Amino acid sequence: MVNFIKRDKNDIYGKPILGFFFKNQKFLMTFKIAVFALFIYALYFGFTHTGKDNTFTTAVFWGIFWSLFMVVSLPTFGRIFCGICPHGFMGKYITKYGLKKTMPKWMQNRFIGVLLLVFGWWGVYYMFPGLFRTAQGTAILFTVMTLIAFVIYFLYKDMSYCKYICPIGTLTRAYSKLSFTWLGTYKSACNECKTFECATACPYNLKPFTFDNRNSMTDCTLCMDCSSACEAVSFKFKKPSFSLFSKLQPLKAEIWAFILILASISITMSFHHGIGRSNAAGDMIWSKTAEFLKNYIDFGSMDAIGLFAFVYALIFTVSAALIGMFIASKILKKDFSTTFYNLGYSYAPLFILGSIAHSLEVFFTKGYEHIVEGFAYGFGFTLDVAPLANRGNSWLHIFGLLKWIAIIWSLIILYKRVKLLNVSKLRKIAAFPFAASLIIFFLGVNMYAGYIFKTYGKASSEHANHGDAQKRFRGAAQNFQPSDISVFKKPAKEDIIYFSPTNPTLKKEVYSRGYYNRVPGREVWPVFKDSSNIENCLGTIEAEIYLLDANISMAKTSQSEESGCKSISFKMPDNGYYNLFYVDKKIHDDTLYVKTAKYEFMRFNHSHDAVYDKEKMAGHTIKETPFDIVRVREDDETFYHNLYSGEKISVQVLLEGRAIEGADVTLSTKTLWSKTLKTDKDGVATFTLIEDYFLNWSDFDKRHKNEFLLTASYTKNASADAKGNGYEKVKYSATYPAYYYPNSAQYSSYAYGLSAAIITMIFSGFAIYWYRARREKPFKEVRFNEEN
Amino acid sequence: MKKIREFINKADIRKFRFWLQLFFFIIFIYGGYFAINLGNSIPVFSCGFDREVGGMCYFLPLQHQLARPLDVLLSAASISVLIGFVTFLLWFIVFNKAWCGYACPLGTMQDWITGLRKKMGIRFSTYTQPQFEKLKKIKYIMLALVILSPMAVGMGLLDREWVTAFCEICPGRMITPLFVGDISQWSLDFSTKTAMILTSLGLIFTGLFLIGSFFKKRFFCFFCPMSAMHYIFSDAALLKLKKDGDKCTKCGDCYAVCDMQIKDIADDVTSTNILRDDCILCLKCVAACPEDDALHFDILNMKLFTSTKGGFEKRMGMQTPKGTTNE
Repeated sequence: MVNFIKRDKNDIYGKPILGFFFKNQKFLMTFKIAVFALFIYALYFGFTHTGKDNTFTTAVFWGIFWSLFMVVSLPTFGRIFCGICPHGFMGKYITKYGLKKTMPKWMQNRFIGVLLLVFGWWGVYYMFPGLFRTAQGTAILFTVMTLIAFVIYFLYKDMSYCKYICPIGTLTRAYSKLSFTWLGTYKSACNECKTFECATACPYNLKPFTFDNRNSMTDCTLCMDCSSACEAVSFKFKKPSFSLFSKLQPLKAEIWAFILILASISITMSFHHGIGRSNAAGDMIWSKTAEFLKNYIDFGSMDAIGLFAFVYALIFTVSAALIGMFIASKILKKDFSTTFYNLGYSYAPLFILGSIAHSLEVFFTKGYEHIVEGFAYGFGFTLDVAPLANRGNSWLHIFGLLKWIAIIWSLIILYKRVKLLNVSKLRKIAAFPFAASLIIFFLGVNMYAGYIFKTYGKASSEHANHGDAQKRFRGAAQNFQPSDISVFKKPAKEDIIYFSPTNPTLKKEVYSRGYYNRVPGREVWPVFKDSSNIENCLGTIEAEIYLLDANISMAKTSQSEESGCKSISFKMPDNGYYNLFYVDKKIHDDTLYVKTAKYEFMRFNHSHDAVYDKEKMAGHTIKETPFDIVRVREDDETFYHNLYSGEKISVQVLLEGRAIEGADVTLSTKTLWSKTLKTDKDGVATFTLIEDYFLNWSDFDKRHKNEFLLTASYTKNASADAKGNGYEKVKYSATYPAYYYPNSAQYSSYAYGLSAAIITMIFSGFAIYWYRARREKPFKEVRFNEEN
Repeated sequence: MKKIREFINKADIRKFRFWLQLFFFIIFIYGGYFAINLGNSIPVFSCGFDREVGGMCYFLPLQHQLARPLDVLLSAASISVLIGFVTFLLWFIVFNKAWCGYACPLGTMQDWITGLRKKMGIRFSTYTQPQFEKLKKIKYIMLALVILSPMAVGMGLLDREWVTAFCEICPGRMITPLFVGDISQWSLDFSTKTAMILTSLGLIFTGLFLIGSFFKKRFFCFFCPMSAMHYIFSDAALLKLKKDGDKCTKCGDCYAVCDMQIKDIADDVTSTNILRDDCILCLKCVAACPEDDALHFDILNMKLFTSTKGGFEKRMGMQTPKGTTNE
């Protein structure tokens, strides 16, 4: 025993604040008593307030300790959950005055605890999901557990309950191996020690001075009793999961705990709560099995689907682990159990990190509110707090990162543990993917769940309010959209039709999500302006629609099926311009009205292999459209081409495929500026895009789309042979919508840019010159008068 | 074999490096003219704002990819992000940090500015050791900016202007396009406050880059986030700079020639892998080392270029006394 020791830099006991929390015995005692008091009070409260309004008991047990505190503390600080556990705290004193018998051999089996947790708790949970959600149920459960624990503490010595019976004892022991803390001892002091105070102080009868050599903290629960007995005990920061990177005595129950808990929590949840909420839930094997067996067995109030999801998760997970490890053991030429129990430690991060992500997400969305309000209720006052985040807040997805970290971490541990084996390198490399079978399986289940949601979508009955934005907008749109087509105005004979990229009945622009995985598409609405200058959409499209795709071939379009504002959608698989044409010919009063509209849109995915083919990227028309506007391309256009204010835009008007002179072309902007020109002999009209976007600095948007519409019109007398068709004149109209951005000269300045750079250069140049000149002062000899 | 070895070890690494740098400079800056396209996961600052770029700096696509909505980024839909990253790693893993010393166009420009300074007869500057220790951390801050700012955009915490925040302040964006006659990057963007601050920082850094690299060798490399990113994966690389501490006499020649002022190259006699985070693997140290085998440049543990007495003497223009061999 030593009374003083110089602590290493990474020793938590030597740190100012953390050292107090983990080392100060009075503080630890007070804290443990407080937790115990809270535990007892919550149980008492559960029995006295059985109503639904008792959120306190559930907040204590299911809000803070189980899941949140446990999973967050385990892979970080280690088993501090056990360190403050009221059972262990009381158990120490009960054992002191108890019978101190040795536990019978059959009970000294860690699988009792593991199986209790997996089947006794999770199995029951999936069968009867609502059972322990009530305050009373919770209180009964924990009272029973406490009584069992206390009886066993009383009977047997060395806190055997914690080691063998406690359902989460083996779990915490196993997952704490990932933590970055380590309870050990200073060798320099221990080498001369003959008294072993740390071991005698330990209520679990462990030997802390052997922890470092064994590379395992065995059953240590970080109760910190040893650290008060001897100063040579250290509690250090280490690399996370460092103990798994070197040899250790594997414990079978730990490996099984990893596998079974992964199966019963992560995998079952993915099955039952993840995929189970998609539209494909009914097709999954567990639902099918449940359906099938329902014909023969009466499940009563039991959740059969949950039960079978659990059963299948167990089967799949265990077989994935066993089969992979079996093949790996054959490749490695080692016996199965050595391979399995040595490499199985790599499974550790899979469950716990995913669980942290889930717990934190729940904490921010619901848990915080539940805990604060529950505690307020428990102590007799009311509080109403808002949750820290709303479901769907995009930053919450950051926790999704943990799942990927878990997989990478697992692979690293596996790599390090495979490295420890004494076989040839080639065998190690060959065995690695098989040994990683469970990790791959875990990844696969996650990807599969994502795939299911992407393809089949979320079931709408549940969580209807969490549907994606698009659906919500659509629904809202339908609510105020008259579903009867006849309500829609029909364009008058003179009204021109043009394509709008937004739905005029919806004020908000809706972008579709999930872009990254699919072929991008575009949805446009053919609209017209009535006499009061309001945009109206069409109830029905009575015209021909053509689409010219990026490869200058005709492609398919689709019209919106729902009644209401009609829209046209098309897919854009390739980079380049897509031209959508609308051709409508109708006769009114001896006049044939040919109304055409065009929508030209460039798709460019910024990929590096996109080739700008001038031929394909030129303006195109089709023979089906009699009257058309084609934007004349500049010489140096690229995929990055955009229009900017102050620039010129040239358009060519084509009648029956030939340039037409004297057609009227009007450019009108959304800001109600317009200008009309007549086409020259090449059929070309050239406009200067005016600068009419003037906003305050704070509101200015350099990506502001200044939308404008080009309209061409032309009237001609019908040719002689057409006279018989019942019209004498033909009135052509064509439209071409586009937009331009504010010119960069409006908001950026080369003069300021250049002067910023030059001023910096001059200033820093002088600074260096001055600094050097000061240092380069000629050497002055200092003379000492040696005679004095 | 022996002759080839001797030839390599006695080679004039300076000339070799100059031509290789010029070659890569042309490939990366003017590659577009020759229809060369090495993809967009190149582990050097061959800036994507240069419209004729022959292979794009990985940071520009990376920042755009990381700015996806977080749920998309962390789902299987972002496998393309992973593919881009793996491509980056494949490029990097072969050549290690030799990318910096031999291929990076921005590094080459700095070497040319250094050459100009040398011609003008102006002495170069160095940092003091405490300054060095403090300043070397900046590159990790920059790397954090590269990764975190687009992710914060994906989370909805920052404006879309922050997606390429690092590119906005990177001097490569202003300087590289100049070589193809594009001055459009040299403007201050006043459209928003963020844009104004970022672009003015960019131009200030450009000024500092030009002046700094005139006085200090490889001024910018010291703050380069790509260098930091390289260092994270450098252990896995095939090419390695190694040191045999037993043969080192701590003469300090290597430190004296080091552009990056890495002290460990002379001081550290315990570690074999002497590649440090600032290293640009220019191999000047190996060329300057007068001890046989004390420093060597390895590929897969095979010596590719080794320091030898003979090579040192040849490069120093020393006369070998007659009757003695170099062995």
